[in-house]
This record gives sequence, C-alpha cells and structure tokens, in this order.
Amino acid sequence: MNAVLFDVALTAYIVAAISAVGSLFGRREQLSRFTLLLTQAGWICHTCAILARGVELHRLPILTLAEVVSVVIWAAVLFELWVERHSEIRVLGAFVLPVVLALGLGLPTGLRSLAFEPQTQSGWVVVHVSLLLVGLAALILNFGGALMYLLQDRQLKAKHPGAIYYRLPSLEALDRLTLTTLAVAFPFLTVGLALGMVSAGHGWGNRLLFDPLALFSIVMWLVYAAMLSGRALGHWRGRRAAYFAIAGFFALLLTLGAGVLFQGRHGS
Amino acid sequence: MASLFVTGMSHRTAPLEVREQLALEEDKVRQILGDLSGRGLLTEVMILSTCNRVEVYGVAEVPGEARSAAFSLLGAQRGLRLPDLEALLYTRTEEDAVLHVFRVAASLDSMVLGEPQILGQVKDAFALAQSSSTVGPLLHTLMTQAFNVAKKVRTETEIGRLAVSVSFAAVELARKIFGSLEGKSVLLVGAGEMGELAARHLVDQGSLPVYVTNRTRSRAEELARALAGTAVPFDQLDASMESVDIVITSTAAPEPIIRAAEVQRAMHARRSRPLFFIDIAVPRNVEAAVNGLPNVFCYDVDDLRGVVESNLRERQREAQRAEALVQREVERFAERLKDLEVVPTIVSLREKLEAVRRAEVDRALARLPNADAETRRIIEALSEAIINKVLHAPTVKLRDSSRQGHGPRWIELISELFGLRGGGKPERRE
Repeated sequence: MNAVLFDVALTAYIVAAISAVGSLFGRREQLSRFTLLLTQAGWICHTCAILARGVELHRLPILTLAEVVSVVIWAAVLFELWVERHSEIRVLGAFVLPVVLALGLGLPTGLRSLAFEPQTQSGWVVVHVSLLLVGLAALILNFGGALMYLLQDRQLKAKHPGAIYYRLPSLEALDRLTLTTLAVAFPFLTVGLALGMVSAGHGWGNRLLFDPLALFSIVMWLVYAAMLSGRALGHWRGRRAAYFAIAGFFALLLTLGAGVLFQGRHGS
Repeated sequence: MASLFVTGMSHRTAPLEVREQLALEEDKVRQILGDLSGRGLLTEVMILSTCNRVEVYGVAEVPGEARSAAFSLLGAQRGLRLPDLEALLYTRTEEDAVLHVFRVAASLDSMVLGEPQILGQVKDAFALAQSSSTVGPLLHTLMTQAFNVAKKVRTETEIGRLAVSVSFAAVELARKIFGSLEGKSVLLVGAGEMGELAARHLVDQGSLPVYVTNRTRSRAEELARALAGTAVPFDQLDASMESVDIVITSTAAPEPIIRAAEVQRAMHARRSRPLFFIDIAVPRNVEAAVNGLPNVFCYDVDDLRGVVESNLRERQREAQRAEALVQREVERFAERLKDLEVVPTIVSLREKLEAVRRAEVDRALARLPNADAETRRIIEALSEAIINKVLHAPTVKLRDSSRQGHGPRWIELISELFGLRGGGKPERRE
C-alpha cells in the first residue's frame, strides 16, 4: 500500500517538476497554479505513504536509508511550499522538485523490499535520524536557492535579461534564502551527527571510522561549517556563498551515495 | 434601436499636428458635450481628449451622423473642417466598440504599451461627461466594466510592470539586486542631468539617503541641496564606495575615474556586500573590468537601453496575454449588453401580468369574506404560480433571441402581443 502511494506521489512530483520548469520559461499563470496544486497533491499522497508504511511495519518509518531519504524529500517539499507561500520566491519548485526527483527516483525498490529490517530501534537513533532529516531537507532548499542565485547573478552580469531574469526574485532575496536555510540546517546537522557518533561509539566502538556514510557525512559537515563561518565573518556572501552551497550539496549527495554503494554499518 | 459606437482618431491614424490641435481643455469639451446631446443625435456621449487620441464614445440611432456632428464641433474649435478630418477618423460599433474601449482603457492601444496614464485620462473623461449629465445607463455600464478590465489586465499580466525608460530601468535593476531598497544609499558622482534624474527616481523609491560629489565643490553642494542629500568632497570618492550601495556616475571626465582596483579594495571593506554602478556618462566613468568583480554590477547607458528593449519585448509578450483576456471580457460584456436590451421588456411583461393577477385575486377574495388565512394563502400562491409558468417561456425566448441577435424583433412582437406600452419600456404605474 505504502509503495503504491509513494509511486503516485512520485508521479505527481515528476509532472509538477516538468510543469515548474516550464512555467519558469513560459510565464503562464495557469501553469504555476497547476504546479502548486500538483505539488500539494503529491505531498499529501507522500504523507499518506509514510504513515501507511509506519502502520504496516508497526514501527517508525525512518530507520532504513530509503525511508530516511523518502522523509527528507517529504520535508523538503513541505519547506518549499512554505517558502513559496511566505516569500517573493515563487519559482522555487523549478529548482527543488528536480532535486527531489533525483533523490526520490531510486527509492521505490528500497521501499518495496520489506525484507531488510533495521538493526536498531533505539531512541537515540531515532533522534539522530530525525534531526538529520530536518537538516538535509533544509539543505535541499539551500541548494535550490544557490542555483537560483547563480542564474540570476549571471543574468545581471550578462546584461541581457531573458525570461529567467524576469521570473527570478532579487539577488538579495535569494542570498537570504541560502543563509536562512543554512542557519536552520546547521544546528540540526551538527547535533544529529554528534548524536550519531556518540551512539555509534557506544555500539560500534572504533569501527565508526570505517563506515563510509559516517565518514562522508563528516566531510559534508566540514564544508557547511566552513560556509557558515565564512558568512558569519562577513566575506562569503553572494556568489561565493552560492558556490559553497553547491559544493556542500555535492558532499551531501556523496554521503548518501556512500550509504547506498558501500555496505557499511548503516546498511542500504 | 440606438447602438453603441466609438469614433475618433489616435496616434495610429492621425499625425501629431492634428492631434495636438484637437486636444481640448475641459471647458471646451464640456461645452461640446452639451451641444451634442442638445441636438438629439446622441442619447449618451463622452469625449476622451488626450495628446495621443481624440475619441467620442456614445449611443446613437445613426452613428455616422453623430460622428459628423461631433467632429465638426471639435474641428470648429481650431478652424479644422470636417472633410479634412474624415480621412483620419475610424468608427467602431457594438462589440467592436466595446473591444476598442476596453483596449484603450487597458493601455493596449497606447503608443507606449502598458503606460499607466491612459486609464486616469479615461476616468477623467468619464467623470466630465457624468458631470455634464451626458452619461446614460449604457455608457455607465460600459465604462465601469472598462475600468474593471483595465485593472484586471494590470494585475494579471506584467504589461505595466517593466521600466521603459533608462532611468527607471536603473531603478528596476537596483531592485533585482537589492530587493527592497530600504536602508540602501546612493552616491551621485558628477552633475549630468541624466544622473540627477536617475538619482531622483532612486531616492523617490523610499527616500534613500543620497550623497553627491563633484570636482567643483560648489556644484556638488548645489545639487545636494536640490536632492535633499549630502555633499561629499571629491577626494573621498573611494572611501564613499565602501558605505553606499548604488553609485551613479555622470561626469564629463575623458577617461574612467573609477577603476577596478579601487572597487576591489572597497568590496573588501564592504565585506562583499553588493555594489551597483550606474554609469550614465559618455565616455564611460567606470572601467569595464569592474563588472567582472564578484557581487559588483555595472551598467552603462547602452546596457540600460538594452534592458529597456528587453522590457519592451517582454511587455509585448504580456500584451498578447492581455489581448486574450480583453477578448474574453468583451464576449462576456456583449452577452450582458444583449440581456440589457431585453430586460425592460421582461420587467414590464411581469409587471403587466402581476397587475392583472393582483386585481383578479383581490376581486376573488372580496367574494370570499369567510375565507381563512390558509385559503387566502393558497389563492395567492396559485395565482403566482400561474403567472410564473406563463412568463417562463417568453422570458427564455427573449433572452435566447437577443443572444442570437434577434432581440428587437422579439421585443416588438411580445410588446404587441401583450399590449405593453412604450414598445418595451416599463409601464409607469402610480
């Protein structure tokens, strides 16, 4: 049941992503409204899918990697809808939804196999994962905002305004989006990773060092930490901050990739 | 049957020499409105007179006659003869007239597509006609709807939102960089007129603090007073770049006075906060390499013109959407107009039957002195049901036929059949 619902949600996201990118170039009010509706519909289906999985398995549906990614993109879509509603950034979907898809398209297989059961259900692990979820979802928006910033920056530098120039909001608004999302994500990321280390330290001993996912997530944390301190000190704003946001996001993708490819203690 | 018409000349049909002569002041227009409605050719009339168009909107039995009368009166004010004007005039009637009025009000027929003044001018012309009592129900409905359509076009399309002048394009770019301009400040370098204009537009956006510098100190002070700003010594130009957000340059210097190296230093001091140069000077005052620095944007006059051109193209694209919107509104309005045509007949038919019903019911009740409340209620309800059933078919038929363009024939037929006085106009009853 949950897998079917998830497929429906994913299909809605696919169409919404195409329509969002289309409305970025096409300037059609109806298309924007259609995108919003589809995204909302997809998100509701996704919510049901997550709940259904929890009910079917009689446990929290955030313990396998596929489940975690599913909830991360669920939260990212929620954040995206919230930002679009409460700011002048109306076309965020065109940048966030494709990322959501890139992460989500690999999930159905992971979600269908009910065979793999998580090794642990301890309370600390749940908190560790939940905190990271929020952080990762905010970082997806951070990445979307950085992409938009670079596009708008290029438009302004090139001095030949095209369709995208008219549709994208001001650089200031985009810079604020990347800063806010980073500021929200970082504490969650930090505490989430720290909790992971502590609980893994208890359970795994020094084998922690040989878990690829754990290693990559430390690299990712370092990139974001550098970015936040750069911004706090003042010099890294605008374009440079956007480049860093993109670098950080690649570290994030590598981290997830490492979790999938290498069979570490996190499992796949 | 009187019909709605529009007649006149605009920048599309008449040269400026003629238009400017016919752009009349209010008193003259008022006088002509009075004259025209006094002649009995038109039942309703208003005159729109701007430097880009002179148009008469009215309701007349014979629009051609009304048009001749209107333009001989208008021409007479400036010694222009009607035959000379005829070739410049266009006339539209009925739905085409509605379309024309909607397009004019929505600024789709303007010289600069989407310019905002025209709507105000149309509103003024309408108010003038209202105060001269030459507006009747048809023009009133039409103009109210035209204002709604214009507003809809403005909110649902971006036609009026993009700058079409160089100085406003600069303001718009500043908004694309800084978002809200609140808390931002402006430095004006040099005393060129265009620079001053751009600075003024920026300052108007939210009373931004403005600093003025010039090689001649007294000139800087003078300009600072005019802009309610602060004069800054010319040798502090580099230091000023560290604190302000927008720099407008318009000096007559033969070579760049702002170099990339200095800007880079300033950017360091600004902790990379964005800096926007608007270089209106020719030759340019800001080195081209400045635009290559991160978070620095530099637009010269040609760049700004390029933006204006893009904006105009964008407005044209938006105009296509606006045209479709207006077309839909015209169709809706035409339906309403046709309904309007048959409404008096329907009303008087209903009144007529109601009078008959009332009289007959009263008579019947007079003969039933012992009838209880329930019986009376039943008699009332019965008689009402009968006239509603009788009315249903002719009402539907009238509405349908008018939508198909046969309204007048059916109005006449039904008026004859039911003995409605005044050919469909509601009966006056004491």
